[in-house]
Amino acid sequence: MAKDKINKDSFEFAYRKLEKILEQLEQNIEEKSLDEIIENYQEGLKLLKVCRDKLNEAELKIEKINLEK
Amino acid sequence: MYISSMNDLFHNTEDEQPLTVSEITGYIKETLEKNFNEIYVVGEISGYKRAFPSGHSYFNLKDEKASISCNLWSFRYNYLKFTPKDGKKVLIRGRITVYEPRGSYAIEVMSMTEFGIGELQLAFEKLKQKLIEEGLFDEKYKKPIPEFPDNVAIITSETGAVIEDFKKVTRKRYPLINLYLFPVLVQGAGSVESVCRAIRKANSCGIDFDVIVVARGGGSIEDLWTFNEEAVAREVFASKIPVVSAVGHEVDYTICDFVADLRAPTPSAAAEMILPDKNELLERLKNYEYTLKSEVNDRIDFYKDSLERIKSNYAFNKPRDILNDFKIRLDEMSEELGKAADDRIKYFSNELNYKERILSSISPEKTLKRGFAYVVRNGKVISRKKELTGGDEVEINFQDGRTNAEIRTK
Repeated sequence: MAKDKINKDSFEFAYRKLEKILEQLEQNIEEKSLDEIIENYQEGLKLLKVCRDKLNEAELKIEKINLEK
Repeated sequence: MYISSMNDLFHNTEDEQPLTVSEITGYIKETLEKNFNEIYVVGEISGYKRAFPSGHSYFNLKDEKASISCNLWSFRYNYLKFTPKDGKKVLIRGRITVYEPRGSYAIEVMSMTEFGIGELQLAFEKLKQKLIEEGLFDEKYKKPIPEFPDNVAIITSETGAVIEDFKKVTRKRYPLINLYLFPVLVQGAGSVESVCRAIRKANSCGIDFDVIVVARGGGSIEDLWTFNEEAVAREVFASKIPVVSAVGHEVDYTICDFVADLRAPTPSAAAEMILPDKNELLERLKNYEYTLKSEVNDRIDFYKDSLERIKSNYAFNKPRDILNDFKIRLDEMSEELGKAADDRIKYFSNELNYKERILSSISPEKTLKRGFAYVVRNGKVISRKKELTGGDEVEINFQDGRTNAEIRTK
């Protein structure tokens, strides 16, 4: 399930956007101009890099919640 | 008997004849010991100690709200069918005794049995049935877990294998999350309140949690009992944030499992179930990259092909002229052939009109929309570079109109 509001800086945001671009390319490529296709392509490559960097560079952040307070 | 002795007590005070400590203690002792000389009590052992060399046992019997001292003389210890230890639920038969030197009261244990699995199982089934009837386990209340969680709360013991295992699996699978540990007691006195408070806190502390994991390692049914308590079940049900229950091993089912939005067989499995797998995602990205590149390459190839087709297109290069030539020739032919050939000419004429329509419908317009332009000089389409010389005035035709240009070099 996708969340209602997705943080723009998150993996999920880039990943969902990439999926959307691919979906549109696969469905409507005949109706797109060459410019649009190239633009989508470059955006897609950029998103791929964002996704990969996030996956490869993430480090688990752990915080303890004090229940007494 | 009880009432009359109490009346005696008040009567004495009213006469302003104060009692000695021994006297009041004596009354209390008499009252308690007479009225509670055979009682059955269920509770949980805590602070268990066996003194040496006497062999007498001292402990407290507890539940969520109260505690009472107990002693078990060594000669009775030998009749026990189990080894007492902290956390065990027991059924005690005994009597209240008052120890006058300290003014304290305790249960003198006559016999003690484990509040057995049979009884626990019965309590479990009863609560389960009750909550089923109330609809707490209904599918319609199950909240979905987001595919890519950002903030995860884990409610478990701060020490022990569970939190370590969970962290390990998370690091391996999806270290993108922020993991918040809510340290709680997972068994024994105070654990129910502790777990309930943590669930409430996760719902109210202002962090936007995507999921709460309630986790505890394996153990006996008594060890896991906290997660079979009604209060915990109700707190899980009340949670606005989806709750994953990961208590015990695969074979252990708790009330918490049934009421939770998702049951995981073990705490490690919970991490696997709620977190996407990094390696699988990287694999998917690889596929996406392939799809992206091949879609675009296919499209570019398609444009190249259609460009070739357009360049060699008859109508595009020599519009109308040739058709007109044909018409003239046809007219000449018709004259030559005379009326006898009329039908045949009509046929050709129709055929030509038809072809003309087709040709004019293959307009370059669609192609222009895709980002191509064509160059015209003196009304003729230029399809090769060699047709141009420096200084030529040309028109470049776009989808939305034309513009004039001059050729600088050949």
